[in-house]
Amino acid sequence: MTTNSTGFPIPYVNLSAQWSQERDQLLPIIEEVLLSGQYVGGKYVEEFESAAAAYCGVKHVVALNSGTDALVCGLVAMGVGRGDEVITPPNSFIASTGAIVHIGAVPVFVDVCADQNIDPLLIERTITKKTKAIMPVHLTGRMASMEAISEIASGHGISVIEDAAQAIGSEFASKKSGSWGLVGCFSTHPLKNLNAIGDGGFLTTNDDDIAQRIRLMRSHGLADRDKAESFGFVSRMDSLQAAILGFRLKQLPEVTAKRRANANLYRALLSSETVFIPPDLEKELNTYHTFVIQVDRRDELKSHLAQLGISTSIHYPIPIHLQPAAKSLGHEIGDFPVTEEQASRILTLPVNQFTTDAQIDAISSAINAFLK
Amino acid sequence: MAQQFSDCEDLWDKLKAFVATGDFTLGKPLQEFEEAFAKLVGARYAIGVNSGTDAIKLSLKAVGVGHGNEVITTANTFVATVGAIAELGAIPVFVDCDDTFCMNVDLVEAAVTAETKAFLPVHFTGYMTDMRKLLPLSEKYGIPIIEDACQSILGAIDGKKAGTWGEAGAFSLHPLKNVNVWSDGGVIVTKSDELNDKFRLLRNHGLADRDTVELLGYNSRLDTFQAVVGNWLLPSALEISEKRIENAAFYDRELRKINGIVIPPRPSDFRIVYHLYIVFAERRDELLDFLVNRGIEAKIHYPTPIYRQPALAHLGHRQGAFPVADRQAKSIISFPCDQHLSVAEMGFVVDSVREFYA
Repeated sequence: MTTNSTGFPIPYVNLSAQWSQERDQLLPIIEEVLLSGQYVGGKYVEEFESAAAAYCGVKHVVALNSGTDALVCGLVAMGVGRGDEVITPPNSFIASTGAIVHIGAVPVFVDVCADQNIDPLLIERTITKKTKAIMPVHLTGRMASMEAISEIASGHGISVIEDAAQAIGSEFASKKSGSWGLVGCFSTHPLKNLNAIGDGGFLTTNDDDIAQRIRLMRSHGLADRDKAESFGFVSRMDSLQAAILGFRLKQLPEVTAKRRANANLYRALLSSETVFIPPDLEKELNTYHTFVIQVDRRDELKSHLAQLGISTSIHYPIPIHLQPAAKSLGHEIGDFPVTEEQASRILTLPVNQFTTDAQIDAISSAINAFLK
Repeated sequence: MAQQFSDCEDLWDKLKAFVATGDFTLGKPLQEFEEAFAKLVGARYAIGVNSGTDAIKLSLKAVGVGHGNEVITTANTFVATVGAIAELGAIPVFVDCDDTFCMNVDLVEAAVTAETKAFLPVHFTGYMTDMRKLLPLSEKYGIPIIEDACQSILGAIDGKKAGTWGEAGAFSLHPLKNVNVWSDGGVIVTKSDELNDKFRLLRNHGLADRDTVELLGYNSRLDTFQAVVGNWLLPSALEISEKRIENAAFYDRELRKINGIVIPPRPSDFRIVYHLYIVFAERRDELLDFLVNRGIEAKIHYPTPIYRQPALAHLGHRQGAFPVADRQAKSIISFPCDQHLSVAEMGFVVDSVREFYA
């Protein structure tokens, strides 16, 4: 096998390295939670909620079982229901659209810009009497154009729910993701920048009433042990995961800084003639959940890199509107041309905090040489 | 809870080894857990999901329950059973229970309509609904049965275990259940190849592979970390249920002698696993206060039947619609029954009850 210039395989994610780094600090925390006998809810969850609220600059954080559940609970609490329309991009992970469909609402797709985020100029023409919400997705860790989106939404009296699953800590005009919309939805899945060791997620809001309703909703709608105010779900964050997240939230600024440094190194090394990387605006702080380039001959390049032991990924090769599950929505190829073109050109490179400068150098040289 | 895991150095070592692998989502220990769980309850397939509630919801969804359909269930269950029905936009249709706290199957046929899409018997408190009577109805009307077995793991009738009678069986692994993990968790079991495939899609966003979405699913996976805990605990599951059955036999024998307490029927062809140990008590509220003041964790499961909860006001059920559930809500009391109790502790409960009625 040929190899890359580091002489070793380069993984796309490296959770084992994270564990080795944190082991001595995390083990006592895990042990403490397990010995406490408090496995669902309780003080670890409350502590994480306050710390995350302070970090995101919002009044309330409600911890849940997943980012998907945050979207579902958020939509329900905002009053979106059967037959209502929600505007969202078609290039996200399937969960964004899944949440809309599950509550009986209708996803209305709007194509994206070169930076892979929803195109604000195309939103207004899709607004109808049935539109109840706009759900921008901060894909890859880059904030959608929240100033424009907020303006459109308030002009039409509709609410914004941010899908910030990939964008913890990201900022636009010095305001953090999750603090722009009526609610913000985050995932703490093991592959996220702020990650647990199992499924997890949370929701941000400044609205007291919505926070209160979601606190009921996440635990069967139970106001107390014996009284069900309304029907809810079971979507609680495990105490164990909350304790781990509480620890990792403190490390997050460092993780973000390293990911940003990695991205900057790629920008410096990759040839701008063959590789398109959406530029960061001066106003935005991108946290690089993923580092996505756009190239010709993407599939060939991906196989070539794999042969060199370099793991890459594609987020996502099949747009949502062309998935078998979306057949009932009646879309066809050509409906969202920018999304479709990107689906054949995007490639995600390793950018996690354990990726070394030497690895980024090896990856960049391999790409430049192949596309030359 | 802390007691259960007081001697778990070996589990601790397993967890440390697991965490280093980073295999956190749908990982190998989860597959092992699913195989072991299926074997334990006598099912072909087991699928780990995020909670018992989700196990019910995904099962109903998989057999085609949707908006406006009716699901027949019991009037005295925990709110989650009905919440799962409501979440799919379906309508819960209640039938009253009998003195085993389960659906009175003789009342089911009268509740069947053209809209009925599933029977959802709840094997409540460790008892089982009489599946021998419900199966013929399911065949007669072509209505699938989903068993809510969240409280009855290893319960059985004529040796056939809870969860294996219907199309699918739903289990909970919540920390307070007989077989539990360190978080929310649940399992679905089924003998159907088709449903097995469907459940695996439904719990993971409908993803057939990383990039293809077959159907719109949910995010409802049992954490692999928790599967490691489950794998550690499963070998003692049978023993745990036997200890609870033993504890219940002790209570039955002693409490039977006390005027004021009535023991529910204990049919000999049922294996009752006593997730809860419940008896009927005269002057129940006073007895509860008396015991609680003595530091005994007596409880009521549940003081308000589900059909009278505020969340169900729109169904328009009036108090009295389900007289057995209503009567029980006023007289039931639960005593601690878990596998860690000593005879001395149970003796203290019995003595206190005796003293109250003296």
